[in-house]
Amino acid sequence: MAESASYTEKLKRWDRFKAEKFSKKAPVTTPYPFIDIEKPPEYRGIPHINPEKCIGCGACVNACPPDALIMEWDKEHGVKRLTYNAARCIRCARCIEVCPTGAMEPTTRFEVATDNKEDLVEVVEHKLAYCEECGEYLDFTERQIEYVRNILPKDVFDAYALEDRIKLTQEEKMRRTVIKLRETEGNVYPAFMLVRETKDDGGEE
Amino acid sequence: MGRLKSVWVYHVDAGSCNGCDIEVLDVLSPYYDLERLGVKIVPNPRHADVLFITGPLTRQTRIMIRKAYEAMPPKPRIVVAIGTCASSGGIFYNSYALYNTSPQRGRDRLRSGGPEMVVPIDMYIPGCPPSPEEILYGVAQLLGIKEKKMKGEYWIALPPAEEPGRENEIKFRIPDRPIPLRYWLTLREELRRVVGYYDRDAVLNDFIELVGKAYEEAPDNPEEKLHDLITGYFLKEKDSRVKVAMRFLENEFWRLVREYREWGEALREKYPVTAGV
Ligand code: SF4
Ligand code: SF4
Ligand code: SF4
Repeated sequence: MAESASYTEKLKRWDRFKAEKFSKKAPVTTPYPFIDIEKPPEYRGIPHINPEKCIGCGACVNACPPDALIMEWDKEHGVKRLTYNAARCIRCARCIEVCPTGAMEPTTRFEVATDNKEDLVEVVEHKLAYCEECGEYLDFTERQIEYVRNILPKDVFDAYALEDRIKLTQEEKMRRTVIKLRETEGNVYPAFMLVRETKDDGGEE
Repeated sequence: MGRLKSVWVYHVDAGSCNGCDIEVLDVLSPYYDLERLGVKIVPNPRHADVLFITGPLTRQTRIMIRKAYEAMPPKPRIVVAIGTCASSGGIFYNSYALYNTSPQRGRDRLRSGGPEMVVPIDMYIPGCPPSPEEILYGVAQLLGIKEKKMKGEYWIALPPAEEPGRENEIKFRIPDRPIPLRYWLTLREELRRVVGYYDRDAVLNDFIELVGKAYEEAPDNPEEKLHDLITGYFLKEKDSRVKVAMRFLENEFWRLVREYREWGEALREKYPVTAGV
């Protein structure tokens, strides 16, 4: 099939703007597939997840209308995977709008056509945090905890004794609160305030 | 597939919203001129080498698509899916009106759906609708003029303290900014209502740069300094939208600063047990 290859070669070499005859008569047609072009900066190409910033919060999954973004849970191995598939993405940019870390980045990429759908899949795998008490995996990732530590002022963390409770499962948190409530009945301060002071006794049960 | 010469195309609609059909017409217009690549639209699948399918494959169209496919000559019998709908079912993927036999009804890894339920597809051109360049790119790839550029990616996002050991492991990083993260988040959300998501990040980056400068140059009186800096910024900026956004950000920033200070004091007053911990 050497003949057809040369046909393609000919097409590649054909530059409409250099060929004098064409540039006067038909300057209107874009030379696109034979040159490389870029889209304007405001063009909505497929979004891209920046794995450096993503915390795996799933806000984009909730916002995505056609489920191009899906969170896959794997509690046995302690991971959750954020999977993005460009074959489903309608480029509405809602994920970019809601992402709290700026990890969802808009791009102007438009050359996405492919013969294999595997090429369109982008996965970010996150490690889940685990409960210090029972060793069970929590619903959120280590990165999410770190992000919350950065958002909340130190005062709030201390006032609510959050550092002691942030890595517990919901049941464990409730159990501890009930215990403290029983212990401190009639106290003027709410129960969560006192978790910190009585922590040493509480930890041994 | 790089050996195709002049392909004849039959275009069929599998329930599309007509956005993609208009783009296919666009590609045939003089500016994009698909016909210079040897592509010719024919009115009968029996003459066609390539089938262009748009749309998510409704129940009503699935038999028709199958018939059109079978009517094509057995070689080369290429099918091109144009649009997100044709690639995976798109925005309509879980509608009752669609024909989708995939086990998880389109929620699997490859997001199955669309015409691939009844015919094998050789080229996917996602986009809603794909711009004419995207369609040109897909056809050019079919003809061997362009190379494939997309590649699947798999990243492992490491927890904060760990260092990457393998190539696809990525370390966690929160960008360093001169203002606290909670201010940044609030300002970002508020700003979206003023300038929208596209200009938001650029404007906000300019603003926090000025804030950093103000605190650096005049630690005693940053409020006045920031006001001066923003007035200086106005002289260079022509876009009035950006000016409005900057003033808005300035007011919002000082409001936030005061609010957090008050909250802090109220918290300390209310719960003196932990005050100053
Ligand atoms: S919203 Fe942003 S940070 Fe959250 S999971 Fe999506 S990309 Fe990651
Ligand atoms: S741009 Fe829209 S469709 Fe695409 S991933 Fe983001 S939210 Fe989903
Ligand atoms: S991909 Fe978008 S534009 Fe094309 S048919 Fe589907 S909804 Fe319409």
